[in-house]
Amino acid sequence: MSLFPAVGRKQFRTRLSWYTVVAFLWLGVVLHLLPFYLMMVISITPASEAMSMPPKLWPSQPTLAAWRLVLNLSEVAKSVLAQPLSRYFLNSLIMTFGTMALSIPVTSLAAYAVSKLIKGRAAKNLFIFFIGTLMLPGIVSLIPSFLLTRNFPFPLPVAPHIPGTDIPFPTLRLWNTYWAVIVPAGFSAGNFLLFKGFFDGIPDSIINAARVDGGSEFNIFRRIILPMSIPVYAVVAYFQFGATWDSYLWPLVVIQDSKIAPLTVAIRSITDAFNYAGTTNPMTAFGASAQMNELLRQGLSWNGLMVLGLLQALPVFLFFIIAREYLLKGVKIQGLK
Amino acid sequence: MTASAETLNPSSIAPPIEVAQRRRFWTNWLFVIPAMLFQFFWGWYPMVVAIFLSLTNAPIRGDLQWRWFENYARLVQDPLVPFAFRVTLVYAALSIALTFFIPILVAILLMEMPPKTMRIMMILWYLPLSGIASTLFWQYMYNESFGIFQWIATAVLGLEPQAFLSSERWVLFWLVVPGILMYGPGLYYMAGLQSIPKSYYEAAEIEGAGFWRKIWTISLPRLRPIIAMTLTFAIIGSLQEFTWMDLMTRGGPNGASRTVVMYMFTLLNNGRYGDATALAVMLFILIMAIVLVYRAVFKSDPDV
Repeated sequence: MSLFPAVGRKQFRTRLSWYTVVAFLWLGVVLHLLPFYLMMVISITPASEAMSMPPKLWPSQPTLAAWRLVLNLSEVAKSVLAQPLSRYFLNSLIMTFGTMALSIPVTSLAAYAVSKLIKGRAAKNLFIFFIGTLMLPGIVSLIPSFLLTRNFPFPLPVAPHIPGTDIPFPTLRLWNTYWAVIVPAGFSAGNFLLFKGFFDGIPDSIINAARVDGGSEFNIFRRIILPMSIPVYAVVAYFQFGATWDSYLWPLVVIQDSKIAPLTVAIRSITDAFNYAGTTNPMTAFGASAQMNELLRQGLSWNGLMVLGLLQALPVFLFFIIAREYLLKGVKIQGLK
Repeated sequence: MTASAETLNPSSIAPPIEVAQRRRFWTNWLFVIPAMLFQFFWGWYPMVVAIFLSLTNAPIRGDLQWRWFENYARLVQDPLVPFAFRVTLVYAALSIALTFFIPILVAILLMEMPPKTMRIMMILWYLPLSGIASTLFWQYMYNESFGIFQWIATAVLGLEPQAFLSSERWVLFWLVVPGILMYGPGLYYMAGLQSIPKSYYEAAEIEGAGFWRKIWTISLPRLRPIIAMTLTFAIIGSLQEFTWMDLMTRGGPNGASRTVVMYMFTLLNNGRYGDATALAVMLFILIMAIVLVYRAVFKSDPDV
């Protein structure tokens, strides 16, 4: 309420520009909601209608056929989806909550120590150590990290031999397990910055008062700081959830077994199967397998992909609704100088 | 008597100061050591190793050998590499030009709304559609035979049928367009705007500043540290794009949307770890050069 003049709000020109701004913002809201609405509509549209022009704002005969087919996709067409859809969903949940359970405590404790406990040069150096990777393109470490998951702690395709013998060094293999997604995300530089920004805003006097009362540092953190910091934990939990739930390249690299693959990887193989079979584009409908034809006949096409999309989007959506009250209170950031 | 003497014994109440300080020193480090281990092993260590690994043959089996710049020489001669770099640069430039600035303006305007309206609008504006789900949605929108964009082009605007994602010339543009609807780091801007004192605007108003003038001389300069940071992330992020293209076009048509990271992923899948790492290091150097130039030009502190 500060850009528009405080006096003379009723003048015609001020009113006009005010309503222009309001209209612009509501237009943006509508454009944002449109994808959600359209995905929902297409998901209940019969297959043939979903692939015809002109697009409809409501199907002539709403049907839940696509929902039923997608939920049982692995039974109807084993070649399209190796595991039941719920399996991929569960895998995504395990990876996401596993990452959150590891990374949020580790990151927030470090941010608290750098913000409040450690002073002077040590704090400055630690800060750079922790956020330095944020300002560097992370892609450069993709392949060494991938090799690390295979032969921890050697970022090499083959573990070296113990000098003077033919025995290779013992290594730890995280590759192709849930841990390969969870462990490398144990510390998050971006979340560190959010936590530190929030903790910096807590007055030292609160902590000193608790020290005088004889609290140990960990107890002070648990009993006093933690309850005050719920907003920043909510924001970080939301960001972390969204990031891990949507992670794509990394699971593609480190997860091979379809039994533990996340939903994002499953979506890739489903769209591949659909594109190959021509369900998504009638012009390339040559190589359609018998199973794909069967799926089409049963009423699965783009409507099925929209069901998948909605299922994949739903958890992030719910998490946003839960965390919404805290979002603005939790972000206290001053930028990197 | 003895009981009260015991309770008054200072060592049972609190340890001597030096002991307490020593203990505090160690608890302090207990807070940071787990994070340091993770940041070392999965942050810095692989990054530094990448430089060395790119100078070796990194074979799937057999002995590791130094190859110095052989990997780089091979990549430079590969015609797909310069092409992928060009695609990446064009995509990043387009994506920053078209999608970076709108969320800033939207955040500024959202802050103008009355508190209740602002809360509702903020929730609706920032309602997240997950990235993977939106690739499915936008593939449908761009479909050449029945997508809504094709319908708008042919039925509404009366144009020839458009190629959209199958057009080598326009594919990057169409890939950037959905980003306009995404909210970007809007939350950071709103948090930054919240901390600007109202008195700044009141003073400006007394001086006769209008709507745009206030945005230009108060809101934007106060947001500058945050914008500097989000722009750095936008540059780094858009030059490393993979997911969006991989799901939308698989790098097609004819590699017109194959970014450096996508090509790197292909090399990785072919087991050419040395080459893939060398390509990553090349991209790393390019990104760092761009970021350093930009940070030298764009000062983040509004008070300087």
